[in-house]
Amino acid sequence: MSLVADLPITGRMKRGTLAGLVVLAVGVLCLLLEKSVPWLSVWPEAWTIPATQWIGDGLGWVLNGIKPVMRFVSWLLEFPMNGANWLLKSIPPLILIGMVTALGWILGGWRMAALGFLGLLFVLGSGYWLESMSTLALVFVSVPLALTMGLGIGILAYEYPSVKGVVNATLDVMQTVPTFAYLTPLLLLFGFGPVVGLIASAIYAAPPMARNVLLGLERVEAEVKEAAVMSGGTRRQQLFLIELPAATTQIMVGINQCLMAALSMVIIAAVIGGFNDIGWEVLLTMRKAQFGQAFLAGLVIVVFAVVIDRMSRALAVEHKARDWRPAAGLFAVSVVAWLVTLGSLPAPAEFNWFGGVAERVDQSVGDFTAANGARLDAVKNGAMFYGLLPLRIGLDQAVLPFTWGFAWTPAMSLWFFAVAAALSVAVFLTGREALAITIACLAIVIETGVANLPWPFLLTAVGALAWVASGWKLTRLCVILLALILISGLWERAMLSLYLSGAAVVACGVLGGLLGLWAAVSVWAWRVLEPVCDMLQTIPLFVFLIPVLMFFQIGEFSAFLAIIAYAIVPMIRYTRHGLVTTPPDLIEAATASGATGWQMMREVRLPYAMPTILLGLNQTILYAFAMLVIAALIGTTGLGQSIFLALGQADVGLGIAAGAAMAILALVADRLVQGFASQQRAALGL
Amino acid sequence: MKRMILSGVSVLAMTCAASAAELGAVDEPIKLAINEWTGQHISTHIGGEMLKAAGYKVEYVTAGYMNMYQAMADGDLHAALEIWSSNVSEDYAKQVEAGGVVELGDLELDAKEGIAYPAHVAEMCPGLPAWEALKDCAANFASAETLPMGRLVDYPADWGTPGADRMTGLELPFKAVPAGSEGALIAELRASTEKKSPLLITFWQPHWAMSAYDVQFVDLPAGEAACFEDASWGPNPNAVNDCDFSPTRIFKGAWAGMEEKWPAAFEILSNYTLDVSVQQPLMGAIDVDGGSVEEVVAAWMSENEGVWKPVVDAALN
Repeated sequence: MSLVADLPITGRMKRGTLAGLVVLAVGVLCLLLEKSVPWLSVWPEAWTIPATQWIGDGLGWVLNGIKPVMRFVSWLLEFPMNGANWLLKSIPPLILIGMVTALGWILGGWRMAALGFLGLLFVLGSGYWLESMSTLALVFVSVPLALTMGLGIGILAYEYPSVKGVVNATLDVMQTVPTFAYLTPLLLLFGFGPVVGLIASAIYAAPPMARNVLLGLERVEAEVKEAAVMSGGTRRQQLFLIELPAATTQIMVGINQCLMAALSMVIIAAVIGGFNDIGWEVLLTMRKAQFGQAFLAGLVIVVFAVVIDRMSRALAVEHKARDWRPAAGLFAVSVVAWLVTLGSLPAPAEFNWFGGVAERVDQSVGDFTAANGARLDAVKNGAMFYGLLPLRIGLDQAVLPFTWGFAWTPAMSLWFFAVAAALSVAVFLTGREALAITIACLAIVIETGVANLPWPFLLTAVGALAWVASGWKLTRLCVILLALILISGLWERAMLSLYLSGAAVVACGVLGGLLGLWAAVSVWAWRVLEPVCDMLQTIPLFVFLIPVLMFFQIGEFSAFLAIIAYAIVPMIRYTRHGLVTTPPDLIEAATASGATGWQMMREVRLPYAMPTILLGLNQTILYAFAMLVIAALIGTTGLGQSIFLALGQADVGLGIAAGAAMAILALVADRLVQGFASQQRAALGL
Repeated sequence: MKRMILSGVSVLAMTCAASAAELGAVDEPIKLAINEWTGQHISTHIGGEMLKAAGYKVEYVTAGYMNMYQAMADGDLHAALEIWSSNVSEDYAKQVEAGGVVELGDLELDAKEGIAYPAHVAEMCPGLPAWEALKDCAANFASAETLPMGRLVDYPADWGTPGADRMTGLELPFKAVPAGSEGALIAELRASTEKKSPLLITFWQPHWAMSAYDVQFVDLPAGEAACFEDASWGPNPNAVNDCDFSPTRIFKGAWAGMEEKWPAAFEILSNYTLDVSVQQPLMGAIDVDGGSVEEVVAAWMSENEGVWKPVVDAALN
């Protein structure tokens, strides 16, 4: 190692080549020794530490210690929650619709008023009004809680830069460790009922707020800060009277993201139970595999998300004082409507305007499966035989007479490596060293399979990537974190998870990138894609699983598709956003020098958008790992399954360890991408 | 529907150890757990209505089946009336051991678990329902993940792996794939019925899908105790588990403080049992005909007072 460190490093290319060669050497060595040294491919059980046991015992002790305090917190939180619940349920539906419509008018004129009116009318018509109000009550309490937490964390990280690294890592953990992993301890600490769901949703929703507060405060211009210092207030006055208001726009983005995250988590409250909310309906229908009905219940959550999102966005954009009289008029109309229909309107639970539609949707899923059974099977088998299986267990095990029509022999392995080596050398000679080494490494991965990769090879590869992306500090972090998974005995399961999310991320990257590009060049494409993206992000993920299962049955291919459905969204959004926000002066300069449309895209807009696209890729990675737990509901093995096993066995240690391993994988992938992104930014001079 | 309910009139077994018990804190609601499936809703609502008839306040609280026992030990939930031994969380045993939860005895719902298939599959594997038929037609059940073996859809991993144990015990060339969730099991049944494709699945009754998808059980050698301990028992002399599932016990559990706080309720729920011939048609009335649990149960209660009333009276008088 020290040998490598002492070598003079000139430029990035050189660095990449060097790192690549080391990885390749380790890979070849592992392949050669694989047969004679078994511990290279499988970490021996004797070398693992009983980490899950220790975590379980240690946590049990801590949890029991702080339990009384937490129970008190949970008791306190019950008051606002029950209050909001009571208030929302005692307001007659028609009047609430009137209030939201009037609010819509004040915030954004007729368009917003229409959105609020139609949205809530849909909720009433679905027959889930009471359940929705329970859900809303939860969101009303969890969001302020998350906002306060986020604001506090953001300010803390800003005021004390030395804790920033720790805070960032904490936020990542809050976002990536799946709630199911710590559900058992959460129940022990906070008792039973909606308050636990409220806390889980606040934990998940606080990080976006914290990140945006920090970003906003850091971007406050130096002159503004100086002016605040000159005026001679205390530090607290400077912060609250000058700097925070100056960061308002960015903080509003945080509030919006916080709301979305809280809404996407309401399903957890249902998994725990304790009150009758919309998530419970989704769970019940999901259990019966009724897609239409689950979709309808899920859409109610989407409608709330869209209404709240658009209204809070309107709040963030501008504050043009609007005439209040139309709003009052709208409200008055709703009161009149309520009075007129008093007694004649059916109870909220009896509305069922969309039952027929839901049934038809459900039926059409069945009909489609019946009509296209053979074709669907062919698609699935093709993807499994030629894509997923070789990636997981390698060509040497995936190529069988049943799948490819012939058996893979050692001679074929040799040929495969020989061709890859020849190609690699040829590319190397053209001067593209990095590409050449990548080809050679990929050949090893494809022949061996991700799940069977020798661990020293993988550790070296990640370490080398980290070194190229950022430096020794990142290498150390990544290697230590991955080694933790190794010695805690979760490596095998972690590799299965890595393979599945990895495959999904690659597919999302390509497909999402292309869709984003399409949305950037065509306004119409984005008009279609945007609501689809909104829906995919906020509808409870369980809902996707039913049609996927109907079409492709239990197994990895279904899980793969379900992960893509969720994780592709950020890739589309960020790619489009990056491409459409190219500064006009750059475009003008390119036009002046005679660039055609596609040249402009390739030479100007794409390079400029690269950092944003990479951020999208980073979000896609986090989403893909988050989805692993849900994918376990359709029978994938790996870390997601361990988390459910832990729930069934009430094994707190296993749940936390598996959750932590998931967070580690996501964290490492995230830091690598961020490293490359900041290099790209530096190269562009941003 | 009425006819169906009438035909369901039968045995609510009455093992009433008759002794008058105090009502206890009648002003405070007894919270009964409502879990995620319809049969449980029926069992719970019948039990709850019996408590109401005795003069109690009852609150039905939704609760996740896998993680409700901590709440029960804390006294936030007071009873769960349909717990399956086949997929109960180990947390239950832990809480019973810690003394926060007590068992209320069997519900006596006669459940059956087994290896099953939708009826149309019989044509794809001649000889079914005899288990020996599966030896020769495993290839028909093969899928991309299990090739060259057949594919058996097993319970979600957190319920255990009974299907996989059978395949090993009987040396059948099937690879068990965990389903991940009940919804996934149902989707498999539904897709197989729609596509007329082969499917072998681990399943149980009472369940509404048994009739909805015409599910049949494979005949396995009887699941006697010896089969699970003695390898030499059964068709495969070298392995245990070479037989049917061990009978599933369905029982009731309660908060440990219940006996003291609501003595009569404790006795009613302890003596409460439900026959599968009652639960199954009510399940159909809800899941297939679209009735609500409250209405369906209320109708059954009013027409079958003779079945449940004696249990309540025995506790009160």
